[in-house]
Amino acid sequence: MHKVKPEMRVVFTLLLLLFAGFLFLPLIVLLIRSFETDQGYALANYVSVWKERDMIGAIWNSVKVSAVTAFVTTVLGFILAYSIHCTKIYRPIKGVLKTVIIVPMLLPTITYGFAIMYSFGNQGLITKIIGHNLFEIYGFNGLLIGYVIYTLPPAFLLIHNAFGYIDKKFIIVSRLMGDNTVRSFSNTVLRPLAGALGGAFVLSFILSFTDFGIPASVGGTYSVIAAQLYQVMLGSIPDFNQGAVIAVLMLVPAVFGIWLLQYLEKLNFHYDKVTEVELPRHRVRDTGFAVVSSAIVLGMLSIFAVMFIAPFLNSFPYDLTFTFKHFTDVFESSDLTGVYKNSLWVALLTSLFGTLVAYGSALLNVRTKLRARGATDIVSMMTNTVPGMVLGISYLLLFNASSLKGTFTIIVLCNIVHLFTTPYLMAKNSLSKMNPSWETTGELLGDSWFKTIYRVILPNSASTVIEMFSYYFINSMVTISGIIFLVSAHTSVVASKIKELQHFAKFNEIFVLSLLIFFTNLLIKVLCDFLQRRRAAR
Amino acid sequence: MLKLHHISKQFDDKVVLDDINLEIGTGEIVSLLGPSGSGKTTLLNLILGLTPMDHGSIIFNDVDLTHVPMKKRGFNIVFQDYALFPNLNAYDNIVYGLRNKKGSVSEKEVQEYIDFLELKPHLKKRIGELSGGQKQRVALARTLVTNPKILLLDEPLSALDGVIKESIKQRIQSIAREFKLTTIIVTHDPEEALTLSDKILIINQGKISQFGTPQEIINRPENEFVEQFIIKQLQIKRQNIYNLFGEMYA
Repeated sequence: MHKVKPEMRVVFTLLLLLFAGFLFLPLIVLLIRSFETDQGYALANYVSVWKERDMIGAIWNSVKVSAVTAFVTTVLGFILAYSIHCTKIYRPIKGVLKTVIIVPMLLPTITYGFAIMYSFGNQGLITKIIGHNLFEIYGFNGLLIGYVIYTLPPAFLLIHNAFGYIDKKFIIVSRLMGDNTVRSFSNTVLRPLAGALGGAFVLSFILSFTDFGIPASVGGTYSVIAAQLYQVMLGSIPDFNQGAVIAVLMLVPAVFGIWLLQYLEKLNFHYDKVTEVELPRHRVRDTGFAVVSSAIVLGMLSIFAVMFIAPFLNSFPYDLTFTFKHFTDVFESSDLTGVYKNSLWVALLTSLFGTLVAYGSALLNVRTKLRARGATDIVSMMTNTVPGMVLGISYLLLFNASSLKGTFTIIVLCNIVHLFTTPYLMAKNSLSKMNPSWETTGELLGDSWFKTIYRVILPNSASTVIEMFSYYFINSMVTISGIIFLVSAHTSVVASKIKELQHFAKFNEIFVLSLLIFFTNLLIKVLCDFLQRRRAAR
Repeated sequence: MLKLHHISKQFDDKVVLDDINLEIGTGEIVSLLGPSGSGKTTLLNLILGLTPMDHGSIIFNDVDLTHVPMKKRGFNIVFQDYALFPNLNAYDNIVYGLRNKKGSVSEKEVQEYIDFLELKPHLKKRIGELSGGQKQRVALARTLVTNPKILLLDEPLSALDGVIKESIKQRIQSIAREFKLTTIIVTHDPEEALTLSDKILIINQGKISQFGTPQEIINRPENEFVEQFIIKQLQIKRQNIYNLFGEMYA
C-alpha cells in the first residue's frame, strides 16, 4: 500500500485534535463534574440524585416503555421487511412501502408528540372520526406510539439490509427437502436474521431511552430519564452536577446496548453469494402481508395527517374553515423566519463540514498506513454510543464559560460529532471497495496525494459523498436532543423553537414550522437521490 | 543497466527476500518467476520504490537509487488489476499523467502509442465498457506515455483469456524491442515466463533459485526446485498437447 505522507499526518492530527476537543474532553469533564461536590470528589451527587429525584422511578419507566417499544418496533419492522423480500406483493406497492416508511425520519421527534396529541387527544382528528377517546395519550401510551414511529424506520432499515444478505434460494431448498412451514421459516428466515432482529430491538431500545423530543411533548406526568435530565439542567433550579450524574446514568445503558449490537452483528449470516430467485406464489401469504404492511404504514401516516390539515384550518378542531392565515403569520414573523433560516444555516454548515470530517477520517482509516489510523474507528464507536443529550450537556459544562457559548459554531460541531458514525461508515464502506493501487498509480503519474484524491478518489465516491451530505443535512434539521442545551436566543433553530412554542400553546406555528422542515428535508432527499441515481447510471 | 546488491527484506519475523543479487541489461525482458509467497511481487515493489528494503542497494545506470523515493526513480508499473480510473474514459486515463508534466510528451507521441496499441476505436469508451485485453492496453499506454526508464508488469496476463493472452505477450515483446525498454515482469506461470522473456529469475522462498535464459533453464536446471516445479510442469503440458495433436505435430 501507499507510503505515509506528511500531508496525511497533518490532516490526521487536525482530525484527532477536533475529536479530542469536542468528544473526549467534554466527556471527561462530564464524568468529573458528576463526582464534584463542595467537599471534593465524592459520590454525593449520585446519592442525592437517587434520593431527591425519584430516579429509580424515572429509570424504571424509561426501561419499561423502551422495552415495549423495542418489541413492537422489531415485530413491525420484521413484517414490513418480510413483505418486501419474501412475498410476491405487487412490486409498486413494495416501492411505496419502502419509501413511506422513512417519512418520519424527515421530521423532528418533538413534532410526533404534537401530531399524536392532535390525532388521539380529546379533540383529535382520529378521536373525532372514531367518536370517542381510544386511550389516554399523555404518558405511557403516547410515549409508546411516538417511540415506535420514531424507531421503526431505522429498525426497518436494519432488518431490510440484513434481508439483502440472505440467500432466498434456501427457502426453496428447505421446501424441496420437505420442511413444514414452521421449520422452513425458522431455518431460512428467522435464524439467519437473528442478529438483525436482536440488533433492531437494541437499536430501538437505545433510541427510545435517550430521545428527548417525544417525552417533551406527550410525556405528561410519566417521568422518564430524558425529561428528568432536561428538568435538572434547564428547570427552575438548575443543578449542573446532578445533571452530569443523570447524563452518566443515561450513558450506561447506551454503552451496554452498543456492545450488545456489536455482539449481535456476529450472529448474522453472510452467504457468500446471494442469487436472485423466483419465489413461489402464495395467495394467502401475499394478501395477508400486503394488508398488514399497508395497515402499519397507513396507521403511521394517519397520525401525521393532522399535521398537514390543522395548519390550513382557522382553528382546528373548532373552526374548520380553510385559511392560509397561519402560514402568512409565520412568514410575516421575522422571529420565526429567522429561526428557519438558522436551521438551514446550521444544517448546511453541518453537512458541508461534517461530510468533510467523516470523509477525511474514513479516507485516512482505510486508504493509508498511518499507524494510529484505528483511532477513527474508536471515535466512530464512541459517537455511536454517546446520546445527543449527553454530548450536549458535556459541551454545556465544558464551554459554558468560553466564547463558543451561544454560537452557531458549537451547534454545528455538536451535530458533526453527534451524527458522525453513519456518514463515516458510509465513506469507509465505499472507499475500502475501491482499487488500492489508485494512489500509487496517481503518484507515479506525477500527482500529489491531494491531487489524486481530488482527481480520482473523490469523483469515484461522489455518490457516497452525496448520501453523506444528505444524511448530515436531514438529521441536523430534525435533531433536538443534542442541541437543546446549546441554543441561545439568536441561534435558536426550528426544533428547539418548537419546544418553546409549546409553552405558549402555539400549535399552529409548531405545525407550520414542522411542515417547513419536512418539505425542506424532502426536497434535499429527492434532490440527493436524483443526483445519486444519475451518477450511478453513468 | 539495473543492479541489485544484497537485497533483503523481512515482514515482521518472516524473511521475504534473502540476499538477492541481480543484473539486468538495458532493453532486456526479465521475468520474476516463483510460486505464490516466494517474494517475487515484493521484489518488484522494491524496485519500484513502493516497499522500502531492509538491506542492500539498487543501482540504475551507475546512480544509487536506494534512497530515492518512488516518484523520483522514473520507473512505472502496470498493476495486475490495471488500477484504471473509472471516472475517466480510456483517453483521459492515458493522458492522466501529462497534466502534471506539461510538454514532456507531445500529442504526436501520444497518438503513436495509441496507434501502436491499437486503441483508437476505444478512446471514448468508459472503463467499464472495455474488455480485459483492452483495459490491459489502456493501462500500458497510460504507463508508457510517462516515458518510464523501466517498465514493471505485475502478472500482466493472469486476468486475460486464451487468445488475448498470446497477443498481449507479443505486444509486450514488441514494446521492449521498439522502445528499447527494460521490462520486468512478475508471473507464476513457467510457460508464460519462458516464452515471453530474455531471462528468467526463479525465486523460491526469498532466494534466487536460478537466473538465466530460457534455454539455460530448460537444459541445465540448477537444482531440485527448478526441476520439480518448473520443468515438470512444462513437461506435463507438453504431454497433454502431444496427446491432443499426436507426436508428429511436436
